[in-house]
Amino acid sequence: MSVQQRTLDCKDLHSYLKTLPAAVLDRLYNHPATCLAVFRELPELSRIYIMRILFVDQAVPKAIMGSWVSPNSARELEDIVKLLTELRVWQEVEMQGGLKGWLLNPTFRRNLKGALLGGGNEWSMKPNTDADPKARGIAVLDEYAMGRWECVLHFMVGSHQHEAISSDALQILQHAGLMKKEPGDNQLSITKDGFQFLLMDTSAQVWYFLLQYLDTANSRNLDLIDCLGFLFQLSFSTLGQDYSTDSMNDGLQKFLQHLREFGLVYQRKRKDGRFYPTRLALDIAAGPKKSMLNSLNASSQATGYIVVETNYRVYAYTDSSLQVALIALFCELIYRFPNLVVGIITRESVREALKRGITADQIVSFLRQHAHSECYKEPPVLPSTIADQIKLWAIERDRFLYKDGVLYNQFDSQADFEILRNYAQERGLLVWHTLNGRKMVVTKEGHDEVRKFWKRHSRNGSM
Amino acid sequence: MEDKEERIETPLVAIVIDATPAKKFASQAIIDNGSTMMNRIFDALIGFGNAHLMQGSHNKLAVIACNSKSTKFLYPSENGDSKSYHNRPGQYDMFAKVDSDIRHGLSELILKDSIDHDSTTSDSLLGGAMARALCHIHKIQRELSLSHQLKPRILVVSGSSDSALQYMTFMNVFFTAQKENVVIDCCMMDSDSGLLQQGCDITGGQYLRIPTVVGLLEYLLWVFLPGPSCRSKIVLPPPTKVDYRAACFCHHKLVDIGWVCSVCLSIFCKFSIICTTCNTEFKLNRPAIVPSKPKKRPRME
Repeated sequence: MSVQQRTLDCKDLHSYLKTLPAAVLDRLYNHPATCLAVFRELPELSRIYIMRILFVDQAVPKAIMGSWVSPNSARELEDIVKLLTELRVWQEVEMQGGLKGWLLNPTFRRNLKGALLGGGNEWSMKPNTDADPKARGIAVLDEYAMGRWECVLHFMVGSHQHEAISSDALQILQHAGLMKKEPGDNQLSITKDGFQFLLMDTSAQVWYFLLQYLDTANSRNLDLIDCLGFLFQLSFSTLGQDYSTDSMNDGLQKFLQHLREFGLVYQRKRKDGRFYPTRLALDIAAGPKKSMLNSLNASSQATGYIVVETNYRVYAYTDSSLQVALIALFCELIYRFPNLVVGIITRESVREALKRGITADQIVSFLRQHAHSECYKEPPVLPSTIADQIKLWAIERDRFLYKDGVLYNQFDSQADFEILRNYAQERGLLVWHTLNGRKMVVTKEGHDEVRKFWKRHSRNGSM
Repeated sequence: MEDKEERIETPLVAIVIDATPAKKFASQAIIDNGSTMMNRIFDALIGFGNAHLMQGSHNKLAVIACNSKSTKFLYPSENGDSKSYHNRPGQYDMFAKVDSDIRHGLSELILKDSIDHDSTTSDSLLGGAMARALCHIHKIQRELSLSHQLKPRILVVSGSSDSALQYMTFMNVFFTAQKENVVIDCCMMDSDSGLLQQGCDITGGQYLRIPTVVGLLEYLLWVFLPGPSCRSKIVLPPPTKVDYRAACFCHHKLVDIGWVCSVCLSIFCKFSIICTTCNTEFKLNRPAIVPSKPKKRPRME
């Protein structure tokens, strides 16, 4: 059993971009949408720095830049410099007279300026010039998007009452390690990561899913840069506006069909020549937690449905089998009514969830995120006793600390034992020891050293 | 152990533009590369608005302009989005809309103003425009979902000097803003305003009189783009000394020493028998020197 809890690594935009090679990054900045997305995710102070040098066409000396912040924020400035250099937003240059300065990446500067004031590279996604005779309202798009997305989740929890999902989606689920085929079993089954995935909020799910998808982009003969650029444009599109597919190449058309399947875009017919972005696609670049989906959650009461009481009872006002299945992951269900499910959080039920690889934080944030709108009127949304208890139950499982080691015993004399013990202790190699029965455990790495010492010691002793 | 529930910050900037100095700037000579001063100011304001929107996807913007006759919402525009705007290549859709809305609305307002000839004498309705900005902020705050937290501020861009006529409106706006946690920033061109200085001081905002109008955008981006929470980290121009003189209620003049109604605290520059605000009669027509009663002292026996 491993002691460390492995949590699903959901990177944000920047940590994802940092994994990309520099050449790819430079090509990415060729598009205003990418620059805008990267810019928005920067910390506030660095955004101010960029704004101030955005219209300066030459390098700015470090000394001048340093004087813009008050002395007690100098540390923060260092972090910013590091981040911006890593993202290749700016680079260090040697100025006249040997001064060191910073120069904004020219491509980045041109495109960010373009996004702000116009006159940069064109956006490849254009609104349709003629109006759609069968225009779709925002409500229809929302419903469609959530329907498609829940279909994927339904498939994962294995409620088979819904239509199956395509082989492409299956591939991604498998690639992401969210589901796997057991040997000798034809059916896919959900993995530990999958459980964690289910408890993430929708925007985080979409973002994680897309990252996994982009990982496989090259194997699908899709151009990663095209896809990313398109995705960022999509995230800055207007909800309820239809966009033309005319200017898109074959690769992007294919990508669009995949997005359509997950509900990120809506298209009535494949050959329609127009598509609508849905709320799932809007603002994905903002990464988990911050996207527009949260505003969707707040506006429709369909999403906030859980009430947790201090007596560990959970009331979920829902009729969706998916939501019931999610709650059942860490709750013991007691009653079930047409529109209400009552469950109770117990030590056993939480431990069961922890065994599946779900973490306490995920349970707590899930409860908080889906809290009924009534709960918001009297903060805290989730009773603190419940949040604390769930975390305590999780800590309870981590009482053992596992360390590899080598046991030394059957010492002939107390003196020998003490010499060896002191030797190991001084070098920090001792894991555990007891005088009773003269036993000691040395770390695996230290074993060689201690053994050599012992050989030397016993040889000297025998002489 | 209990971690804090995070609320998404939603910064809102309401820009209040005073359009009355337009005439002053319109007559100014054409500078460097053929663009007029007016164009320069327009570009700076639009650039600043978009720069604010660019900071984050939740950022909100409102632009209100006023002259001596009326106040007007430029963005979000009053007549819906019926107006068509042409997109410049490469520009983000939303920014293009802001651009066209502000340019269109502001020029309409200024042109109307220049046709009217008798408007030269009266002051601008800056106070009223700020009140509308507060109303707008309040409305947004109520519409916002609980998981968001609004960080509102008002930026006044003006070039006209103090108008004591609106002293009461201004003061009401300032104290309302203070109560609603709205920060008032002020960027003055050409002239100073003692009233707005007070407003910025009361609400914890930044007051700046810029030395040259040509550099408007640079000043806006430097001083007014960062939100109040970030301002402590950067070096800003030193604060100006605030002129806390009040305007009297009778003649709307700034006074150093005046008469104050003991009931409603209204200020007058001249003595009058009756308070015009609360109708209290001051019974001072008795003998001018009322012999004060001998003060009672505790008897020491």
